[in-house]
Amino acid sequence: MHNVVQAIILGVLIGGVYALMASGLTLVFGIMKVINVAQGALVILAAYLSYTLFSHLHVDPFLSILIVTPAMFVLGVAVQLVFVRSLRGRDASELSLLVTWALALGIEGALSAVFQTTYRSTLPSYTYRSWDIFGYQVGLVRVLGFAASALLLGLLSLLLTRTRFGRAVRATVQNPTAATLLGVDSNRVQTLSFGIGVSMAAAAGAVYGVIYPFNPGSHYDLISRLLSIVVLGGLGSIGGAVAAALTMGVVESVVAVEISPTWAAFSFFIVLIAFLLVRPQGIFGLRSSFTPPGS
Amino acid sequence: MTMTSTRIAVALAGATALAAGAATAGSAAPRSGSAGPIKIGISLSLSGDFSDSGKAAKHGYELWKNVVNAHGGVLGRKVQLIIKDDTSSPTQASTNYQNFITKDKVDLVFGPFSTLLSAPSAAVANRYGYAFIEPAGGGPAVFQEKLHNVFFTQPAPVLQSADVFAKFLLSLPKAQRPKTAAYPSLDDPFSSPIADRVRTLLEKAGVKTVYKTIYPSETTDMTPIMQKIASKHPDAVIGGTQSNDAFAQVKAMIQLKFSPKFLFLTNGPNDPAEFPSKVGAKNVNGIFSTGDWFPEERSPGNAAFVKAYVKAYGGSAGTVDPTAAEAYAAGQVVEDVAKKIHSIDNKKIIATLHTGNWPTVEGVLRWNSIGEPQGSDLLVEWVNGKLSPVFPKNVALATALTPKPGWGG
Repeated sequence: MHNVVQAIILGVLIGGVYALMASGLTLVFGIMKVINVAQGALVILAAYLSYTLFSHLHVDPFLSILIVTPAMFVLGVAVQLVFVRSLRGRDASELSLLVTWALALGIEGALSAVFQTTYRSTLPSYTYRSWDIFGYQVGLVRVLGFAASALLLGLLSLLLTRTRFGRAVRATVQNPTAATLLGVDSNRVQTLSFGIGVSMAAAAGAVYGVIYPFNPGSHYDLISRLLSIVVLGGLGSIGGAVAAALTMGVVESVVAVEISPTWAAFSFFIVLIAFLLVRPQGIFGLRSSFTPPGS
Repeated sequence: MTMTSTRIAVALAGATALAAGAATAGSAAPRSGSAGPIKIGISLSLSGDFSDSGKAAKHGYELWKNVVNAHGGVLGRKVQLIIKDDTSSPTQASTNYQNFITKDKVDLVFGPFSTLLSAPSAAVANRYGYAFIEPAGGGPAVFQEKLHNVFFTQPAPVLQSADVFAKFLLSLPKAQRPKTAAYPSLDDPFSSPIADRVRTLLEKAGVKTVYKTIYPSETTDMTPIMQKIASKHPDAVIGGTQSNDAFAQVKAMIQLKFSPKFLFLTNGPNDPAEFPSKVGAKNVNGIFSTGDWFPEERSPGNAAFVKAYVKAYGGSAGTVDPTAAEAYAAGQVVEDVAKKIHSIDNKKIIATLHTGNWPTVEGVLRWNSIGEPQGSDLLVEWVNGKLSPVFPKNVALATALTPKPGWGG
């Protein structure tokens, strides 16, 4: 039992970080029906930025979120303006897959050229510190990572529910045509949302680099996890992404401890498939909100 | 086109292809005895998963080439290395060797990095009758093909590389030996079979196995595995590891405040340059690993190799990657065998290397009929922040530190 509880703690802490990455992906999908498969690569790009700030300028990786997030927001806005906005018409969703995949490969190639393929880790002095809470070991960096993720997800939630911009975003998600008719500037909403989605990846990337070693190819594993999370959570639902990410963290961690690490990653997919058989729209997804592209 | 003319065209095309094939096969044999440089083809992982080690091997090969050329080359001919990147892919490595032999018409080939790439590459070299002197493919997959052209330039096959740790534990007074052990290993031919062998040896000697697992290479988080191990309280943790998973295992143990009495990892802690920076310099003491080579080792040509390496690539003796020494040894073997038989004919090289002893920086090597070296690796341990050989006693440069001090000790 002790092992299961410890595994659940670990799973929740790491699930929080995945939730932050996935929130950006699902937000962008909700608004513009674009599946940004470069989200994993953007996480890794941010991990490298934070790593560089730490190793050259001794900027604490958690403080570097304050630098990396706005910088990547600007990058996200630029990517949306240059690559994504020009995709129009019925195939826009399919084309966006190709465009963002090309972006992912471009980022991977550029990172390989600059940093080589050696695994890197951002290792601040407190990396190895942990607390003993009722006999359970809780790593400091994981708690900080979870706290940073929770804080940013909270801010995102406030932005979406308490501001005029947030109302415009939610209106666009629910009914883009009606939102435009009522005066919402959909281009602006799409561009800013894409930037926000990328900045969520950025913050998560800074945290990721402290917890796990990474190299430019790490994004393949990440994007497969993130896509699974947003599908389980319900495409377009941030709450669903959070619930799904936590589920993934806990299932993987408990299976690794109680059954075998070989089954850990696969076990989440079993949960995903089983859940989707019962509820195809995901945890919080609305059956009617998803219109297959081209239909 | 009529039916007849189509047939003629097909027949002609077929004949041309056959002729081209015959020409390629006929010209595959190297031009031994020519006066130009001796061309040696080497596929290396300069990008992808094994790029660190691939680059280290490149350093070793190039250093040997520079040293040997400065001394007049091999049999009076300069050595030229043709190195191609295989992106850590076994398929690309095989293709590279095929091209070295059939297109570049190299005189000799040296091996790539790791068992995964060496096994298929050795088969390609064997098909064309080339000797396959290789520094880094020591896993069972290489030897189980029973090829006679393979010569692995390390003291022992990888599978046996950790036997030395079992021997060390069993050399301790009974009261000091571990009673229980856990074995977390990476699913890799270079990793898990080694730990399995140690487990068999220790189980026979009465050390109880309390946990064993094989984790897939994409496992980034070692904490759940280490947590499970910690809950079993083993005296010894013996992991079949590569580098990143070894760092992650140690990191997870520190965070879980679990410090076993004995910690042995097949790879990772034996990298003096990387290990302290990846797990914290204060946490290294008492961690064992194994090594085929050591900077201070008194093996033939080793002092000169270390000096030349540091001069060429900077750093210190402690930062020389053993992979570079292994690659350098491959060059030493060729240099010696060519001198002995006055030829670089692959057939003669293969026949000659199966007999006698061959002095290298990796020690004096000798092989059985399928290229398995017949020596023993070194047991290395971090003692006072420095990695040193501690067993067997005749090569030890420090006294083994047991039991392992706690983290930060």
